[in-house]
Amino acid sequence: MKNLRSYIVPSVFAAFALSGCGNSDKTATAENPSLPLIAFAQANSQDPWRQVFDKDIKQEADKHSSEFSFTEQEAEDDPKKQIDEIETLMVKKPKVLLVSPVTEAAQKAIEDAHDAGAYVILLDRSIPGNKWDVYVGGDNYAIGKMAGEYMAKKLSGKGTVLMIRGIADAVPTKERGGGFMDALKAFPGITVIQGDDCGYQRAKAQTFMENFLQSKKPFDAVYAHNDEMAIGAYLAMSQANVPAKVIVGIDGCQKEVVQDIKDGKIAATFRYPQPGAPAVDIAADFLKGKKPSSNKVLLPTEMVTKETADKYLQEHPNLAD
Amino acid sequence: MAESRPWNTALRLLQRYQGLAGLALLFIAAYYLSGDFFSAQNWVNILKQLAIPGVLAIGMTFVVLTGGIDLSVGSHLALLNVILATWAKHGANTWLSCAYVILWGVIIGAFLGWLVGRLRMQPFIVTLGAMVTLRGIAYVYSDRSIVSGFGDRFDALEKPLLGLPISGWILIALTLAASFILSKTVFGRRIYALGGSETAATYSGVPVNRIRIAAYAVNGLCVAIAAILFTARSSSGQPSAGLGYELDAIAAVVVGGASLFGGVGDAFGTFVGALFIVCVNNLLQLRSVDTNIAQAWKGVIILLAVYMQTIGRKRPT
Repeated sequence: MKNLRSYIVPSVFAAFALSGCGNSDKTATAENPSLPLIAFAQANSQDPWRQVFDKDIKQEADKHSSEFSFTEQEAEDDPKKQIDEIETLMVKKPKVLLVSPVTEAAQKAIEDAHDAGAYVILLDRSIPGNKWDVYVGGDNYAIGKMAGEYMAKKLSGKGTVLMIRGIADAVPTKERGGGFMDALKAFPGITVIQGDDCGYQRAKAQTFMENFLQSKKPFDAVYAHNDEMAIGAYLAMSQANVPAKVIVGIDGCQKEVVQDIKDGKIAATFRYPQPGAPAVDIAADFLKGKKPSSNKVLLPTEMVTKETADKYLQEHPNLAD
Repeated sequence: MAESRPWNTALRLLQRYQGLAGLALLFIAAYYLSGDFFSAQNWVNILKQLAIPGVLAIGMTFVVLTGGIDLSVGSHLALLNVILATWAKHGANTWLSCAYVILWGVIIGAFLGWLVGRLRMQPFIVTLGAMVTLRGIAYVYSDRSIVSGFGDRFDALEKPLLGLPISGWILIALTLAASFILSKTVFGRRIYALGGSETAATYSGVPVNRIRIAAYAVNGLCVAIAAILFTARSSSGQPSAGLGYELDAIAAVVVGGASLFGGVGDAFGTFVGALFIVCVNNLLQLRSVDTNIAQAWKGVIILLAVYMQTIGRKRPT
């Protein structure tokens, strides 16, 4: 029958779809219904800093696998997706909810979770209001300020800096930019060119840098809101045979950028501390009845330069490649 | 050439009620895969989560029925979202702001329909350009920031009424209205005519350009409503909103039994298709499936759904 042939293709599709029906959750330890559940709503799992984040948090959760189950969902930086995921995670009635908010939009969903009785730990990004229990993260403003002070020293108080920005409406972007600008208030000899929003992505920063170089505007240094963009800027400059400038990034989570610093391609980066493992420890303590002394746990940063690069690699073996 | 009658009938039925068939299969799978799927709390969530993609899908139905497509609805939603949030933040009257946003939704939609018709440009290309342009305007308008801090004036839209949030009732009302328009009015019949065969429709005296503009305008109206609901749900205006929403809307329309060639499909089918997509998302989340694998599955499902619709169908003239 000629019509039977037309069922072959859909059957193949269906077979594909159904074959995936088995266990495909790589970020969750097998959920044991007799153990309390800790759920984690991640903002995205794409950029390198977040990949180390996921690795760290899974490692730490595995250490406690006899005490609790752990599950994670990521929202691909879509605030509505994150709201949906938090609501869905709450259906499973977790005792602790870890959230790395995409933006402040997740606030209502987080507050609903808090009202429903979950212990809410915010990672890396905070939300307004106080309907949450603990914040664990770095201090982007302080890091931006340190970067500004370092830049001023490197330029001896005079020069022009091009600032390549991260995702426009994200809090870390505003803080890394704000801290930097505030630090430079003490150095009137330095001017800052406000670059584009390159979304924390290497390729976008590289394209932006290529176009900027075409404009032949003079500048002495580049400050990028993360290492990926700093590397992108460096690649554009080296391909255009532009003489070396001071380049500063933030994150310090990739072996590649530390190598670039050792090779003198990038001047410095500042470690953006990973909140994953400390947050899991706080959650584990909470399940045992212990609460942290303060509801804001600010993790320290480190500056990585040519002099400190080797020591940094030794201290942090878990960096992304 | 002997045609197999029972197979043919079965196939046509499956094509017509594709959405429901898919939903039934999904429910069976959910029964075995997740204990939480059928809980009351989960279903309240699903219905809450259905409103925005559902409204976008209803609008997309009008466009797809004319044989067109609109890739810009995500960016369009973002622009209207930041406009509404900005007005709200500056204290403007809530109803007035919503009306303003709806007005712009209709204008932008109509403009896109006009570009496709009068300039004889492919809807794919026109709306692809619009996708990029509208996104850029959204960023400029909002000065690249999130707009928030306008309190809870939109919260009423999420409040439950008889178990369903008001946003859900809006979706149902919109689906009923769309179904009525498409099946019982001259406008509706002309949309089907245009999608079935533009040449034949033109020769029968259907003002195809006007109908097309109107269809895209209705889509724009739906985008505006979705933007209002989005503003209520996320309590903020974000230029980065709605990324990828056009794909879910198109997927819902196709799973619901519409043909991307135009002329086939209806509002209820789209509603079921949207419910299907939301349930798939929900089930994948309950099962903690990695987002990227989930995307791959959705792609397969959409391909399957589109393929089902093309069996035995002729290309449009």
